[in-house]
Formats: sequence, C-alpha cells, structure tokens
Amino acid sequence: MLTQILILSPLLFALAVLFAGVRLRNILTVVFVVFLAGVSLVHLLFINEPLRYDLPHELHTLFFFFDALLLLFFLYVGIAKKDPLVASLAASQIVLYAAVKFVNGAVGSSDLLIDNTSLMMYLIVNIVGGIIVIYSLKYIESEEFSRLKKNGFIAVLFFFLGVMNFLVGTNNIEIFFLLFELTTLCSYILIGYRKDTISTQNALRALWMNQIGGVAILAALLLALVSYKTLSFDLLIANIDTAYLFPIVFLLLAAFVKGAAIPFEKWLLGAMVAPTPVSAILHSATMVKIAPFLVLKLSPAMSGFLSEAVMLFGTFVFFAASLLALSKNYFKEILGLSTIALLSFMMALAAIGTQEAILAASILMVFHALSKALLFLQLGILEKEFHLKYVNDIESLMSYSPLVVFFIVFGFASLTLPPFGVFIGKFMAFESFAAGIQESPVFLAALLFSALGSVFLTILYFKVLTKVFVRDMSLGDSKRKEIACTYKITSWALSVLLGVGIVWSLAQRLFGMWEILIPALLIGVVPLLLYVFVLQNAQRVKEYNCGEKEEVVLNMYYLHTPSAVQKTILILSLVFLGSLFVGVAL
Amino acid sequence: MFRKFRKKSPWILHYNAGSCNGCDIEILACLSPKYDLERFGVINTGNPKQSDIFLVTGPVTFRSRERLVELYTQMPEPKVVVAVGSCTCTGGVFRDMYNVEDGIDRYIPVDVYVPGCAASPELIIDGVVKALEVLEKKTKAMEKPRKLFSEATTKEGIVDRRECAQKVGEADAKDTE
Amino acid sequence: MIEILLILLAPVAGGLLYGFERVVRARMQNRQGPPLLQPFYDMMKLIDKQTLIVNPTHALLGVMHFVALWAVVAFTIMGGNLLYIVFLHLLASLFLVLAAFSVKSIFSHLGANRELLSMIAYEPILVMFAVAFYMLNGSFSIDAVRANPSALGSLLFLFLAFLFVVQLKLKKSPFDAAKAHQEIVGGAEVEFSGLFFEFVYMALWLEYVFVYLLLMLFAGDNILLGGILFCVVFLLVNLVDNATARVRMEHLIKIFLGIAVSLAALNLLGLAYV
Repeated sequence: MLTQILILSPLLFALAVLFAGVRLRNILTVVFVVFLAGVSLVHLLFINEPLRYDLPHELHTLFFFFDALLLLFFLYVGIAKKDPLVASLAASQIVLYAAVKFVNGAVGSSDLLIDNTSLMMYLIVNIVGGIIVIYSLKYIESEEFSRLKKNGFIAVLFFFLGVMNFLVGTNNIEIFFLLFELTTLCSYILIGYRKDTISTQNALRALWMNQIGGVAILAALLLALVSYKTLSFDLLIANIDTAYLFPIVFLLLAAFVKGAAIPFEKWLLGAMVAPTPVSAILHSATMVKIAPFLVLKLSPAMSGFLSEAVMLFGTFVFFAASLLALSKNYFKEILGLSTIALLSFMMALAAIGTQEAILAASILMVFHALSKALLFLQLGILEKEFHLKYVNDIESLMSYSPLVVFFIVFGFASLTLPPFGVFIGKFMAFESFAAGIQESPVFLAALLFSALGSVFLTILYFKVLTKVFVRDMSLGDSKRKEIACTYKITSWALSVLLGVGIVWSLAQRLFGMWEILIPALLIGVVPLLLYVFVLQNAQRVKEYNCGEKEEVVLNMYYLHTPSAVQKTILILSLVFLGSLFVGVAL
Repeated sequence: MFRKFRKKSPWILHYNAGSCNGCDIEILACLSPKYDLERFGVINTGNPKQSDIFLVTGPVTFRSRERLVELYTQMPEPKVVVAVGSCTCTGGVFRDMYNVEDGIDRYIPVDVYVPGCAASPELIIDGVVKALEVLEKKTKAMEKPRKLFSEATTKEGIVDRRECAQKVGEADAKDTE
Repeated sequence: MIEILLILLAPVAGGLLYGFERVVRARMQNRQGPPLLQPFYDMMKLIDKQTLIVNPTHALLGVMHFVALWAVVAFTIMGGNLLYIVFLHLLASLFLVLAAFSVKSIFSHLGANRELLSMIAYEPILVMFAVAFYMLNGSFSIDAVRANPSALGSLLFLFLAFLFVVQLKLKKSPFDAAKAHQEIVGGAEVEFSGLFFEFVYMALWLEYVFVYLLLMLFAGDNILLGGILFCVVFLLVNLVDNATARVRMEHLIKIFLGIAVSLAALNLLGLAYV
C-alpha cells in the first residue's frame, strides 16, 4: 500500500504543479515533499519483512507500449539532431527489445520486491531528493524560463522521484529497463533545459552514453531469458550458475555506465552545465545511486573471480577519478569527479559481498547523498547569489557570506573526517580489505588504490578551500550579503540530517562512544568558538610579506595529470572491463 | 613572573638594510659551532612575528628603509633592536654619502650599538647579551616615539647633517623629563 | 588511572623530548646546545609576548590543532583503534591547514599546500601500518598489539617504511619541505605569534610523542626492546637530519610512493603468504 503511494503520488504531484500559479506551486511542492518524506520514513520504521507485489497483465502491456514509445522517441531525437550514436543505439535497443518480446517460456516471480535496500533507497530518494526539489523552487525563480517551463521543471523532478521510487522496488528486469530508460529521458530533458548549444550537446552525449547501459540491460535480459528462463532478479540470482555469469556482467556494465565509471565519465562531467538542482538530484544524490544499488542487488550472484574483479575495478576508478579531479578548476567538475570516485568505491564494496562490506556500502550511499547534496546546494547559491563558477574566482567569500563557507567546509568535512557517516563507511571498507588480504593479493591492490584515492580526495577537498576560506580583514563586515531564506532552510535541513547520522551511528555502536564524541566536539566547537571569541583585545596585524606592501594574489594549485597518464587510465579501465567479460567466459 | 624567561629564550630576526654582508657573515658565524649562540636559546627565526631581537646590519639604503620600519612594527612587544656594525650605528665608511641614511637610528629606536667593521663574533655575542638585559626591563607597551635628531640645518643650500645628532645621554635626559 | 596522568603529562614529556633532541643535535655538530628545559623557557617567553593576531579564525584553529593532536595522543595512550587514530590525526593536521588557509599570506598558503601534499606521502604508509598489525593480531586495537610479543622480525620492511614517515612527521631533513624554515619561513606557522604560536609549538612536541608511541608498537610487550628502538631511531633520525639537505616536494612524494609504499606493500604480501 505504502509502496503504491510512493510510486503513484509523485506522478499526481507532477500534474498538480504543472498548471499552478507560483505561490500555489511553492506551497504544494513543500507539502508534497513532506508527505513523501513522511511516507518513506513510516515505511522504513514499520515494515520489517520484504514485501512482494504483482502487477496486473494490463499494466505490463501498458509498460511495453510506453517502452516502445520511449525508444522510438530516442530514435527520433537521434535522427532530428543528426547524432548517429543516439540513433544507432536507439535502433539496436529497439531490435533487442523486439527479440526479448519474442522469446517465450519465461518464469517470472513478483514484479515488486521491497527489501531493506529498497527501504534505504526510499529514504535517499524522497528525503534528499525532496529537499533538493524545495531548493529548486527558489533556484528557478531567477532563471529565464516562462512560468510553464518553470512549473515543468518541478513537474519533471517529481516525475523523476516517482520513477526512482518504482525503480528501487522492481524485481522484473523488463520493467527495470523501462525505468532505467525513463531516468535517461529525465536526464536528457533536464540537462538540456536551458536550451543553449552546450546544454543540448551535453544532453545528447548523456543520452547515448546512458543508452549503452540500456543496451547492456537488454542483452542481459535476453541472455537471462534464453539460458535461465527468467526475467526476475531474485530468480536469476537464486538459480545462478557460476559457469555462466554473462547476464550479471551485462547488468554490471549498465551499472558502470549509470555510475559514470571511467571510461564513461564524460557524460556526468558534461551534465554539470545543467541547472544546479539537476546536478544535485540526478548526478550526485539519487539517480547515479542506481549504480551501487544494482551492484548491491547482484552481489549474492557474483562468483569469486567476478567479485574480486569488480572490486579491483571499482577501487581503481576511485583512485583514477580522484587523481583526475586534482587538475580541475570548475567547481562542479571537482564535485562530479569526486562523486564518480565514491560511487565506484561503493560498487567495489558492494561487490565484495561480506556483511561488513555491504553495510559499509549502504552507509556510504546514504551519507554520501546527504553530503553531496549539501555541497551542490552551496554551489547553486554561489552561482545564483555571487555568480561564481570557478574556484579561482572565489575571493574572500568569508567576508561576503560566512554561512555559505561554513556549509562548504561542513560538507567537505562530512566527506572525509570522523565522526561523519562517509568516514565510517570508508573505515569499514578498510577493515573489509584488511580482512580479505589473507585470501587474495587482489585485496592488497584494492587497499592501496583506496588509501591513495582517499588521500587524494582529502587534499582535493581542502585545497579548494584555498580561496574560499581566506578571511580578508580589511573588508570588515560591510560586504555581508544575506542569502535567501529557502537556501538557508534547505542547507540547514541537510546539515541537521548529517548530525542525526552521527547520533544514529553512535546508537548503532559502529564505533565506541568516545571515538564519535571527541571529533564531533572538536569539529562542532570550532564554529561556536568563532562566534563567541571575537578576540577584541588582541591587536590585529597584517600578514607577513617580507616587509613588502604589495597586494597578495592567491590561487588554488593544480596537479596536472599528463595526457600520457590520462591515456593509461583510459586504456587500463577498458582492459579491466574487457577482462570482466573474458574472465566470465572462461 | 614570566619576565625572567625573556632573556632565556631570545629569538632573533636578522635583517640586512643594505650592508656589504660582512657583518651578516659574522652574525651567521655566531650561530655556527665555534661561537654557538644557540646555547643561549637563540634561534634565527625569519619571522618578525616570532622574534624578540632585531639584529640589523647595514647603513640604511633608500630601498630598505621602508622594509626596515615595516619589519620593526611587525614585531610584537617587548623587543630590542641591536645595531650590528659601524655602518648600522653611524653610517660607517659610507657616512654622508648620497645613497645611505646614516644608520638605523634615524628610523627605529636602537637599544644596543655594536661597533666594528666587521663586528667580531665575540662583540656581537656581548651585544646580544647586553640586549637581553635591556629586554628584561622593557614593558609590553609600545615604544614611545621620540625624535632622535633635531631638524637638519641648511648651509648655502646644502643640507648639513653633522650638527643633527644628539649628544650622548641627551635622548635619555629628554625621556625622563 | 595512570593513563590519564600520562595523557595530561604528554605535552611536558614532548617538551622534554624536544629539548633533549636539540642538545643531541648540537652535540652532533660539535657545539654545546641550549639547556634541556629550553622549550619551556620558550613557552614562558611566548606567553609573555604581546599577542598579535591576523584574524580570530586563524588563531582559534591553531589552538584546535593543538587540542586535536592532544586527543590523538590520548587515544594512542588509552589503546584505541589504530586505523581510527590514523584518521583522527588527519583531522588534527587539517585544522592546521585550515588555519593556514584563513589568512591572506603567501607563505601560509604555500606551507598549507605542501602540508596537504605531504599527506599523499604518509597516509598510505600509516594505513598499511595499521593493516599489518591487523593481519598479525586480528584486530586494529593498540591494546592487542601491546599485549602480544614483538613482531619486529616479520615487520622489518614496514619498519623501514615507517622510518621514512618518522622523518617526515617530525619535520626533519630531508623531508621537511612542508616547514622549510629558510625557504617559506615556517610554512603554515608563519602568521602565528605570541600565545598562539605557543600552541602550534606545543603541537610539534605532541607530534614527537605520537610518532614515538607508534614506533614503540613495533616492540609489542617488550619494554626493553621498545627503549632500544626508541634510542636507536632517535639518534638515527637526528643523524640523517644533520647530514642531508632538503628534497623538493615532488621528489619527496616520488621517494615515498616509490620506495616506502613499495616496502610496506611487500611486507603486507609477505605477511599474507609467507
């Protein structure tokens, strides 16, 4: 019952806000988001065992109809925009889908299966996604869209939430394919929303790269129908034969495409030209979480070779993406590459399959969504209130808005430092790798990659603060700028949720009490002290510049990856992917 | 209570205000194993914010005078200034030349003058030790600015600085007035 | 109870260690050196100076750096989770980096950037250090390490890699590019003065205590061996400091990632398969 509400209500909400006036739309959106968040919480707290539902046959026919329409639309887009990749991939998808429909004799189990992973994803999608939708209400006010187009933005976001709610519960691979392609459609629409040249270009690139994922899912579905005679996830995983893992490998390929692992990272980086709420909700917090979610679903089916190979690939991408991010100046690209890195890390953990690793992956998914959403919201504020996109343009933000600086530092700290959730996930990951070294040397390589990747991410986040954190005392308090109320409320909401996460991890006894309290105190007391101790009595003095009086100009430093290294990374990732297929064949 | 620790841990800031480097070499020699200033706890910090003793060499050239005053003001109280070498005290062999201001006491108040060209390391150590005694007596209030020179006189259109310098003891007498 | 006393006395012990080290370095250079209690004289003098601050954020984050490092030492003495301590130490270093970033000073930023880069050098080795003890004892807990006999024989390569880390963390040649006194005037510490410089100074003493406590984990429950290791490494570190010149940051990272990380990784492989 609750599941149906979560799936259907966002579609109704989308229709409702599409034609409303501005005030009505805002009020309705807030009400809808609170409703969705409440339902998902209730679902989590009161439903304890997995639920199964079957969908009536008419709905299946309806889905087939929608799917065909969707694929024809993609083909049309490819032909109309003269993009051969989109057109050819859409055509191959149509062919494969027709082939799937011709194969008979499949045994299906329930269409919807709500287990703990789904419940966790409901929280991420509805709460984090909901907060971002509220944020986007204020964000689109200053965009140059017509009223209908602005309402359409919110409507598409709600539609996307509904699709995600359906996707994390579905057990039927065919419906999963439809929903996967629907998220690709949402991505395409929202990236190209501003309708300028670069947006349409990047939207097309996102479209064809995600279609590779679609092709992979169809291939997996076809192979599952032919060899295993099933189109349900749970039957596939239960009856898996370790000699024939091709369906799993193709599904994993789809996961890598959706999670923008190298070599597929270009679509995610290109998607950063979209309005910031799109980047936040689709490309960091919710849609790309399909990737580790899928790997979590498939992890019981992965044999020793496959799980180790995916783990090695995941940690390699973690290392490579963090290394590549060190050379970027565009703030969103930095966050995008770090998202790619952490997603691959989650996929690597999900692939290991031990209980600790799966718990680590889940914790990482939830808290990474919160932290990245918070960071992207701050980027949106920087974009709208201060017109800043590049890190090197940010001068003395502390004098303009210490609150935004606090949120940015808090967001970065919540991604690297104890006692926050992402740190706990990383810590448990290291414990899993350490536990596995005795079995296989691959774990040692994974450990090395993740240690290096984690330290690259740390220096990445803190070197960005070079210009953000500088407090230019000569500007004083005169330049203070108040940011809008909606922005503040949504950012505080996410920060409070991160704090709740600390309390939750204390309750779960993942760590000792002192080990969580002491860093929480250390980090928490700093903003309080800064508020209280203005240190009026101490004499202020300027910085040391060898006695010179000239102006000091600071810049963030880069670690440029030479193109030889970039090519090596690309080739290695392709080799890894190829070896997945080859290894499974042997 | 903390006063007596001031002379146990003097950190020096060494600045060259246009000197020929002779006195600089002697100062660095003081820090070397033979003369070892570190046994007094002296560290050569390059940072005015963390030093107590300002060791200056060189008659002040035009370009270095602003930096000299900047560095002096960036040092926190209590501080002492030690003028090392004859050039720093009175201009030395370069006195009255067009490109030097004769000595640093035109710009900053000096506590200890160490003569010599170049000042020998033993004399520099003596100077630093004497400066430590002066340091102990200082307060944390900022130095009162005092005019060390009367106005320069002009003879036949040429500025004559010989008469400007105060006699020995005249400045102290003025202070206690 | 005695652990709480040890924790409270940790800065004092660190100060004595630092003072003793200055004497040892001086004697190696054939000179007399300052008195043993010199760091405490420095501390008293710094408290007595007029306090000049650039901005309150900078000053307070410097103090938090000291407090966080004290918390790290406290966890190490109480016998906590070794991997967690490595990451908490990262938090302490990041406080100093944040403090250095909050002023508009070139040297401060240079030092902070170098400090961040040097994390690439030592973090992987410290993580592998923790993992090696996990593989030997089955848990990350320091108590377990101290209860078991010394593992120095099977951790020889890791010990060599750890010596590199000791040299880096104590800010000694050839790996002191992050502090680089003559080059960037102390790096991250440049804008601190008076009382607040005292906190950063004491943080250096605590760093000594932390690194030597980690070193003595190689001795397990054998206190005599711990003492011998401490003396040998102390003399070795000062000898290398006096004898070598500073290497540049990129060379530092290449040396660490090339030599030290390989040594540590080889040791872990050896632990698993030999």
